[in-house]
Amino acid sequence: MRLSQVFIVVTFSATILFSQEESEEPSDSLYFQFAPDSLYLEVGDSAVVTIRLLKNEGESANSPFYIHGGERGTVSVYPRISDSTGVANVLVKVYRPGDLSLNVRSISTKRLDRVSDKMPVTVPYPPLARIEFDQSTTQLYEGTSVQFIAKVFDEAGLTRNETDLTFVTTNSSIAEFDDFGNLNAKSTGRVRVTAQVDNVTSSINVRVVKNPVRGMELSSSSGEVRTGDVVHFNAKALARGSREVEDAPIYYSYTGIADYGIGLPAAGQMSQDGRFVAETSGLYTIYASSGGYSAQKTIKVVPREVTRKVELVGYGLVPDVFTSDLWIWPGIGKHEGKDFAVTGTWGADGNTYFWDVTDPKNMITIDTVKVDARTVNDVKISEDGTVGVITREGASNRKNGFVILDVSDPYNVDILSTFNDDMTGGVHNTFVYDNHVYAVNNGRKYDIINIEDPSNPHRVGVYELKTPGHSIHDVWIVDGIAYSSNWADGVHAVDVGGIAYNERNMPMIQANPLLARAGKGSPSNPTPISYKNDPTGRNHAAFPFLSESTGEFYIIAGDESFPFGLGATKKEPSNPRGGFHFVNFTDPDNPEEVAIYQVPEAGSHNLWVKGDTLMAAFYQGGFRILDISGELMGDLYKQGREIAFFLSSNKEGHLPNAPMVWGTQPYKGLIYFADMNSGLYAIRLVSIDAKKETD
Amino acid sequence: MRRLKRRINVLFLLTIFLISPSLGRDYYIYATAESEDEVALVRFDGKKIHVEKRIPVGVWPIEIEGPHGINVSPDGEYWYLSMAHGIPFGHLYKYRTGSDELVDRVELGLFPATLQVSPATGLLYVVNFNLHGGHDEVSTVSIVDPEEMVEIDRVETGIMPHGSRLLNNGLKHYSVAMMSAKLYELDAMRMEITRTLSTGKHEMKKMGGMKHKMGDHSMPKEKPTWVYPHPNDKFLYVVNNGTDEVVEVDVERWVITRRFQTEKGPYNCEVSRDGKKLVVTYKSVAKTAVWDIDSGKELAKIKNTRKVTHGVVISPDSKFAFVSVEGIGSEPGSVDVIDLSSLKLVDQADIGKQAGGIAFWKMEN
Repeated sequence: MRLSQVFIVVTFSATILFSQEESEEPSDSLYFQFAPDSLYLEVGDSAVVTIRLLKNEGESANSPFYIHGGERGTVSVYPRISDSTGVANVLVKVYRPGDLSLNVRSISTKRLDRVSDKMPVTVPYPPLARIEFDQSTTQLYEGTSVQFIAKVFDEAGLTRNETDLTFVTTNSSIAEFDDFGNLNAKSTGRVRVTAQVDNVTSSINVRVVKNPVRGMELSSSSGEVRTGDVVHFNAKALARGSREVEDAPIYYSYTGIADYGIGLPAAGQMSQDGRFVAETSGLYTIYASSGGYSAQKTIKVVPREVTRKVELVGYGLVPDVFTSDLWIWPGIGKHEGKDFAVTGTWGADGNTYFWDVTDPKNMITIDTVKVDARTVNDVKISEDGTVGVITREGASNRKNGFVILDVSDPYNVDILSTFNDDMTGGVHNTFVYDNHVYAVNNGRKYDIINIEDPSNPHRVGVYELKTPGHSIHDVWIVDGIAYSSNWADGVHAVDVGGIAYNERNMPMIQANPLLARAGKGSPSNPTPISYKNDPTGRNHAAFPFLSESTGEFYIIAGDESFPFGLGATKKEPSNPRGGFHFVNFTDPDNPEEVAIYQVPEAGSHNLWVKGDTLMAAFYQGGFRILDISGELMGDLYKQGREIAFFLSSNKEGHLPNAPMVWGTQPYKGLIYFADMNSGLYAIRLVSIDAKKETD
Repeated sequence: MRRLKRRINVLFLLTIFLISPSLGRDYYIYATAESEDEVALVRFDGKKIHVEKRIPVGVWPIEIEGPHGINVSPDGEYWYLSMAHGIPFGHLYKYRTGSDELVDRVELGLFPATLQVSPATGLLYVVNFNLHGGHDEVSTVSIVDPEEMVEIDRVETGIMPHGSRLLNNGLKHYSVAMMSAKLYELDAMRMEITRTLSTGKHEMKKMGGMKHKMGDHSMPKEKPTWVYPHPNDKFLYVVNNGTDEVVEVDVERWVITRRFQTEKGPYNCEVSRDGKKLVVTYKSVAKTAVWDIDSGKELAKIKNTRKVTHGVVISPDSKFAFVSVEGIGSEPGSVDVIDLSSLKLVDQADIGKQAGGIAFWKMEN
C-alpha cells in the first residue's frame, strides 16, 4: 500500500469516527419533552401534542424519532415520525377508554442507545347511565333475608361490572344490607332501597311485613338413597292453621356424618331449590328454615356400589409411533361376520393402520395406508362399512384435507380420492354421516362434502361461527344434528338434516328437544339450533346424551387442557387436566351446566355414551367408565359413580409404561379404545365379585 | 525440484491462510421445525454442523402450532418467532438468544410468517400470511414494538403476503403477496405503503389476464414467495415461485431490470453480504442454486438432502449458505451447509420435522 493510500484510509476512517461521535449523543443525555405533558380526552376526540427530542441543557437533539399509540386500535397518531431536528406536532386521536399512552422512541442503530418515553393519555369510560335491579322484590317478611342484585349500564348501553356498587336502605332498623347485598328484614315498616355507584342511583320501595310463618314442614322424595342420587326436598312454610305461606323465602342447608371415619367430610351439594346429592355415604340431615323457624329431615346415604372390574381382552401394540383415533366396524360382503378396526397416527409418517379384530384376543394389522401427512388425527368409517375417511395434517406440499378410502375389503384398502380444496390448513377431525363428510377445516369451520360418489367428492355446505376469533375443534353427528365443540364458543347444535318427522321417529323427536326444533337444515343449509359458550375456552369435544332413566337431554362437553405442556414431543409422559361438563339442553333456550366429571390430576379427551353409561378417555388417567343414570347434579367423580377404570400401558409402547388414552368406542359387548402411547385395546366389564361377563 | 517444493509450500500456506478464518470459526443458526413445534440451534464449525439445542416452542400441546418465520434482532440479543396457528390467530414470540428463554409473546393475525426488526426504527415487521384463507382475503403487515411486545399497527397489503425483508438501512420494508403477485414497499417510519409493483411480465388489471383457476379461486401465475435486498440497497430480488424465476428490481427506478429463469419451484433467496452471489432454494426439485449476480448466470445447483427445500441464510462472511430442507412425513428436517466457494454440500444436520424458517445468529472465532 502506498503512502497516499494509507493517508486516504486514515482520513476516511477518522471522518466516519468523528461524524459518528458527533451525531450519536450518549443516550443518557437525550430526553423527550411533551407539550402538553398529558392528555385527557373523550373517546373519539383528538388533540395536538408537540414533542421534542432534546439533549443536555434543552438543546435540540437534531435527531428524528418515531411516535406510536401503543396497542393497535387505541390511539392513532399522525405523523409517525418527527422532522429531522427532532420536533413533531402530532395529531392524537383516541378510540378506546382507559389509561393509554403516547409513545416515542429515538432512532439509532444500537438498540441500547435508543431513548423512549411515554406520555399519559387518559380516556374516561363513558359515564354511567343507570342501574337496573335484577329482581322485583318489594315485600319481605320480617326475619327473612333476600339477596339483591343490580346491573349497571353506561351511556353507551354496555353493562359495566363495577365492583363498588352499594346498596343502602333509608332505615337500617327496619332492613339493612350486609356486605354481600343480602337485605335482612329486621322489623316491620317501609324502607327505600337504593343502589348506588358513583353518582348514579336507583331506588325501589320495599315493605317489611309481619312474618306469618309459624312453622316449617319438610318432606323428601326418598329416605335412603345412594351416593350420586339426587333427593328432592319439599319445604313448606306454614302460618297459623297450617296454611302454607307460598312466598316465604326458604333456605336449605345440611349437616352429615360420613360412614367411613372421624374427621373425614360428609360431602354433598345442596341447591336452594331443595335438591340434595351426597358424595359420601353416611347420615345427612337437611334443614329448611324461614323467618326463624326450621324443619329438618335425616336421610341415609349408602354407597352407590356400581364398581366393576375390567378384563383386558386383547390389545394391538403400536410400538413405533403415537396412536391417534380409532373406529370399529363390522365387515361386509365377503368379510361379513368379521370385525375390523382402524387407527390413525400422530406426529409420525402419515400411516393409518387397519386391524382384523374378529378375535379381539388376537388383533392383527392387515393393511396400512400411507399418505403425505405428519398426523392422521381422525379416522372414520361410513355407516355401511364401505368408505373410510382419514384426515391429513402436515402434508409436505401443504395440501392437507382428507383422504377417502374404499374399506369394503379392509385387507386391501384403496385410496379412492383426496379432498384438499381450500383445506391447506389441515383437517383435524371429521364425521361421516349420510353420504357426507363433515370436515373441521383449519380450526375455523366445518365444510360439508358430498361423497355419494366417493371418487368425486364435492363441497355442498359450510358452517362457520360469526363470533370474533372463533375456532372449532370437532364435530359429531347424531340423527341429523351436528354437535360441534368450539373452544370458547362452547358447544353448538346445528340442524344438518334432522330425522324425518314421521310416526316412527316421533318418540325420538319428542325425547330430544333439539330434534323437535330441527327440520329446516340440510347439509347444504346447516341451521343453528342452540349453543352454550364455554367461559374457560377449553371445549374440545361434544357428545349428545339422552338419559334413558330420566328423559333429560344433555350435551356432554369435554375439555382439553395441557397446563404443563405436552411430553410426547420429548418422549415424556404428559400431565393434562380437564373434565366433562353435563349441560342440560332440555330447554334449548336456557341450557344449563348441572354436573361435571373430572378425574383429579388427569386430562379429559374423547368420549362415547351408550345408554346411561359414559365411556371416557382420560389421557394419563386411563380409560374410565361412569354411571350417568338418574338425575345429574354436582361432582360425579366424587359421588362414587365410577364403574371402572383401566390404566393402559405397555413396556414396549412408543412411550413405555405410560397411559395416554385418546378415544373409545363400545362394540359388540366390548369396549375398544386407543392409547396414544401404546396402541389399540379391547376390554370388557366383569362383576366385582365374579368373573361373570356383563355387557 | 526445490523450486517446485517451495511453490507447493507457498501454495499450502496460502491455502491455510485462506481457509483458516472459517475453519477456526463457529457459525450459529436458528432453524424452525414447523411440524415439530421446535426450533433448533445449530453450530457449524467450518467442517461439521452440530445440533446444539432443540427448543420446544408453543403453548398448545396436542395441536401443531407451526413455528414458521424466525429472525434475530440486529444486536443479536433476541430471536423472534412467528407461530402460525392459535385459536385461531397466530403469535409472535420473543426469546433471548443463548439462554433461549421465552421473554414474551403477542397475538397477531392469521398465520404470521416472515419477520424482521428494523435497525433504524427498532420496530418489528411481520406479514400475516393467512395461508389458509379463501385466497381472496387481503391481509396485512403487523408492526410490533419488540421492546414491549405490543402490536402497534397493521398495514394492509395483498392476498397471502409471505416473503418480507427490510433494506439494510432499515428504512423501507418490502413484502410480496403470493395471490396478488405484487411487491409492496412500506415506509418503515411512516408505516404506510408507498409503492407497489407487479412481479409479473405485464401489469395485471385486478388480477385479470395472467391468472388461472384452481377450484373457485383465481390465482396469478407468478405467486411471488420471497424478496431480499442487495447489500447496496439498490436492488431487490423477488422469487416468482409460480413462473420459476427470480426478478431483480431497481429500488430507485422501481422497475424490473433482470429476470433469472430458474428450475421449477424457486421459493426463498438470499444475497451474500459481499453482493456477489444470489442463493435460491428450489423447493419443487429439492435443490439449492447459486447464482453470480453480476453475470446473471447460475453457477451451480446443489442437491439437497431432503425432498422439500425451503429457506436459506448466508453467513455474513459470504462463505457458507445454510439451507433448511423440510422432508416428507416423519423424515426429519435438515439444515444443509453449502460452501459458496467450492459450491458443494459440506455437511447437514437433522432437526425436527418440516424445517422451515432459518436465521443467522452469530459467528465466533
